[in-house]
Amino acid sequence: MNIDELRNRVESEISSLKTLEDLKRVKASLLGRKGLFSEYLDTLKLLDKEEKKVFGKEINSLKAHTEARLKELEFFYIDDEKRKQDALSKIDITMPGKTPLLGKKHPITQTFEEIIRIFTSLGFSVAEGPDIEQEYYNFEALNIPKDHPARDMQDTFYVKPGVVLRTHTSPVQIRTMESQLPPVKIIAPGSVYRCDNDISHTPMFHQVEGLMVDKRIRFSDLKGVLSIFVHEIFGENTPLRFRPSYFPFTEPSAEVDIGCVICQGDGCRVCKETGWLEILGSGMVHPQVLRTVGYDPEEVTGFAFGMGVERIAMLKFGIDDIRQFYYNDIRFLSQF
Amino acid sequence: MKVPYEWLNEFVVLDVDPYELASRLTMRGFEVEAVEEYKPYLGGVCVGEVVKIDIHPNAKNLTVCKVRTEKEEFPIVCGAKNVKEGDKVPLAMVGSTLGGRFIIEKKEIRGIESLGMLCSEKELGLSDDHSGIFILPAEMKPGTKLEEMAGLRDFVFDINVPPNRGDCLSVYGIAREVGSILNQRAKLPMFKLNYSSDDEVKSLISLAINDTHACPRYVLRMITGVSMVSAPFWMKQRIQKCGMRPINAVVDVTNYVMLELGQPLHAFDYHSLKEKRIEVRVAEGDSVFKTLDGEDRGLVRGDILICDGSGPVAIAGIMGGENSEITDKTKDIALESAFFNPLFIRQTARRIGIRSEASMRFEKGIDLDSVDFAAERAIYLMNLTAGGSVVKGKQEIYEKKSGKSIFVSFGKIIDILGTPVEHNAIISSLRSVDLHVVKEEETGFVISIPNFRHDLDEYADIIEEVARIYGYDRIPATTPANASHSQKREKSGIFFKNAKDYFTACGFYELINFAFFSLKDIENFAISASDDRFLAVPIMNPISKDYEVMRTFIAPNILKAVAYNLNRGARNLRFFEMGKVFYAGHDTMPREYPSICLAMTGKEKDYFWRDACPEYDFFDIKGVLEGFETRFKVKFDFVKSNEPFLKEGRSADVLMERMKIGWVGEIEDNILSIYNIEQKVYCAELRFDIIMQKSITDIQYKAIPRYPQVTRDFAFLVEDTVPVTTMLEQIKTISPLITSIGVFDMFKKETKSIALRVVFQSYEETLTDETVNALQEIIIQKVAGIPGVKLRT
Repeated sequence: MNIDELRNRVESEISSLKTLEDLKRVKASLLGRKGLFSEYLDTLKLLDKEEKKVFGKEINSLKAHTEARLKELEFFYIDDEKRKQDALSKIDITMPGKTPLLGKKHPITQTFEEIIRIFTSLGFSVAEGPDIEQEYYNFEALNIPKDHPARDMQDTFYVKPGVVLRTHTSPVQIRTMESQLPPVKIIAPGSVYRCDNDISHTPMFHQVEGLMVDKRIRFSDLKGVLSIFVHEIFGENTPLRFRPSYFPFTEPSAEVDIGCVICQGDGCRVCKETGWLEILGSGMVHPQVLRTVGYDPEEVTGFAFGMGVERIAMLKFGIDDIRQFYYNDIRFLSQF
Repeated sequence: MKVPYEWLNEFVVLDVDPYELASRLTMRGFEVEAVEEYKPYLGGVCVGEVVKIDIHPNAKNLTVCKVRTEKEEFPIVCGAKNVKEGDKVPLAMVGSTLGGRFIIEKKEIRGIESLGMLCSEKELGLSDDHSGIFILPAEMKPGTKLEEMAGLRDFVFDINVPPNRGDCLSVYGIAREVGSILNQRAKLPMFKLNYSSDDEVKSLISLAINDTHACPRYVLRMITGVSMVSAPFWMKQRIQKCGMRPINAVVDVTNYVMLELGQPLHAFDYHSLKEKRIEVRVAEGDSVFKTLDGEDRGLVRGDILICDGSGPVAIAGIMGGENSEITDKTKDIALESAFFNPLFIRQTARRIGIRSEASMRFEKGIDLDSVDFAAERAIYLMNLTAGGSVVKGKQEIYEKKSGKSIFVSFGKIIDILGTPVEHNAIISSLRSVDLHVVKEEETGFVISIPNFRHDLDEYADIIEEVARIYGYDRIPATTPANASHSQKREKSGIFFKNAKDYFTACGFYELINFAFFSLKDIENFAISASDDRFLAVPIMNPISKDYEVMRTFIAPNILKAVAYNLNRGARNLRFFEMGKVFYAGHDTMPREYPSICLAMTGKEKDYFWRDACPEYDFFDIKGVLEGFETRFKVKFDFVKSNEPFLKEGRSADVLMERMKIGWVGEIEDNILSIYNIEQKVYCAELRFDIIMQKSITDIQYKAIPRYPQVTRDFAFLVEDTVPVTTMLEQIKTISPLITSIGVFDMFKKETKSIALRVVFQSYEETLTDETVNALQEIIIQKVAGIPGVKLRT
């Protein structure tokens, strides 16, 4: 029996392999039931016991070796085949993908949510009140008596005598204090209305009111809380200042200005060359307002503030015309 | 209030840059909105003295003036008539440029050489006055550059005076604040009346007031024989810088003193006053009165009137009458200076719709104590500018008022401000604005309030004064001591935000519309008059017919936004709006609740290269609502709708627990055409308050099943009369093992074929074929048992 001949034949068959098909054929012709190894093993029976043992061992070892090599080659050819197929189904990855539909919240809503996020993180809760409001809550209770200029018809929408569209969110201060005892720590976002319609006024706009009443609330606390707010919403390095002002329902009152976001304080058209932009009104709650809701100004003090949401959105996004918010033009809405 | 820096300088020493002063005023609560620079271009113009005037030999309308500067004399041909020998005039010499463009050249006019030009105020760009040559003050030295004349170069502050600080609606009032800023005391103007007439006011005119509540102080002073000349340049300049128009010396003086001291004045032509008497009275009935602007004004009970012997001559504090106004012929003047009750003036001014410089000051309250000082000042200035003789004495009625005083404790000031301001600093701050301590106690002090401060009523007002003067910027920023409260979470606010997140995630853009619309919008939607949506809350004073009522639903506004965008080239839109709607109540306050409105039109995108993009239909918008049900765990039922603005058969009412909460569907074509929309629009509007109430916010975890699920498909032939929902409802009731039923196909040949996929799931065991087969049989039996449904074989 010639093992070398077997080895040579195996060697020549394997080295002639080129494809997966060849491999399958060669595998059958070598290892199949009627393959070469079977042939050799069959002839073993003709040998004597000693020879049988020697040749049998050699053949089986060669067979195992061949099997292993073919397996290896099979993996190689399968991978190769897959690569060829992948190449055939290749795509142009620069073709446009399918974007999901996008919707966005109105920039006023986005600004509202940002303001609310900041104040709720400072422990304020959110309160609400009606848009159609009694004159009492909109004016009298806020220390705006009957003969005050703010009561003029030209500013306030009337629904019927004694009932108005609220001109500010401040009535929520009164409603909240009437319904609970101190401490009070709320913000009140909402729509407000004034009879104005021109390039810088819309008949409806939005405000966020804030109120904090407790024992020993100081003007310095007002400065602290509003400074945190301004730095959160306009950035940590935004300069700000508190400037004396007048509101009937606060005393002392303060207007809060930030360094102009357009010109960085150098002076431009937006800030009227002053380098400062007014962004909110604030002050210590007037003792008369506290008395009106049955609080004792000797016991508790507080501060209140109010800001125009459009104003803040305009400064944040660089919008120069307030009416843009209400055209509802998709080319506007899709930018935010 | 406009305040010229140069005028301010008369009361305080301004050793400070105008812009620096402006920012310090702003930080005191007097916001300087603008600093206007006055820089007239006067290069090459100098002061000339007219030495000699000759008639032009060749033109009798012209003169030849010999004008002297410091060393030289120039011949100037001039056409103006107001120049006299000895006058100081502005001379624009050859080579100078007026107004930056007009160059003066050597010229020969009708044969006479002219070496320059004498200028009017207008030619110098100082005012609109072109009536003659600008005659300069006599004390000016010939040859001086005109630029050096006082008051020409200036800075005018436009100050936003707080509405409660009427006392600062004057240059002197602002000067008081500036004095406090600069550690000075503002000085009142100094003058001395020169009585040159022997007459006494008391013998020339009588005075009566029938209501000293309406008018606690009234002063009459007189000057006779004035000439109706133009006011001097400096006075006109100041009046103009303050935004008023010069008229003549007498009228200008009344305005000048008002601007200077804040006291409005009124000059009567003495001879037009009947019976030579003035009576101040509060009208008791209606009448008509012609004011000096020629308008007939209706007067009513409660208006304060100034009357002479025969009737009204002025509406107090608001406007004088035509019958007593100053004319070119006026010689003798009776000057009124008074304090009128702000409430009366405000009421009258508001009713007749006049807001004059005078009424504005009376409304805010003037200084009761300086009423007569202002009258004296005006008579002095009239005498100075319009000549005449000052009549001795005055007529006056004066109901004196005792000053207010307020107690403030040091502790309160420090507690409220949050910073330990020293007691001395408090006292000296207040003193700097004329608030003097009348009594000092251990814990605090009593402070007297001068009569010009109408804004100080209680301790908080004084604390503000301290803070303002001490400086807001010197008060630290602190965090509140009791900063932590448990924070109430507003369920509605969070739900609102989550809903908006859902709709934007569905590809909808959020709109915000005004909460108004017009009754026409309701009619456009073909809504019947008995429908609740007609219960709109009307606005008594709407800004336009389009915004005449509060909206009762959002759909018209959202449709307008759709139209707006389609008109501008958009084709595919998905919009939502969440906002309040309002319903009128009888006798009660209107109801308001949040509503949610959706609109979609066109298709998802115009094209995508791989897939087709179908136009939206009913099932796209319905699907958005069904997604909402899943997201927020609510249950909507969709039933046939009768909404008149929706297409029949392509619309549904939306119910929750059998209550209608809204509608969804395709908008009728004829309604779309009212809004000029030419493509299909699908809308929905739902009551958000009810959805909010019924939504389940607590989520309970349910164990994930450990056993496999089994799926079976069914096909039925279904008559058009049978809604698919009846089949689904029927199957749902069969067994709790049925966990989901879906429609996976629908096609129509002769009869409609509907394919359903049912999922079976047990939490306790692996379902056997026998169990599922048994259920399958029941399903076939039950569904095929519905009239009009057959199993497809």
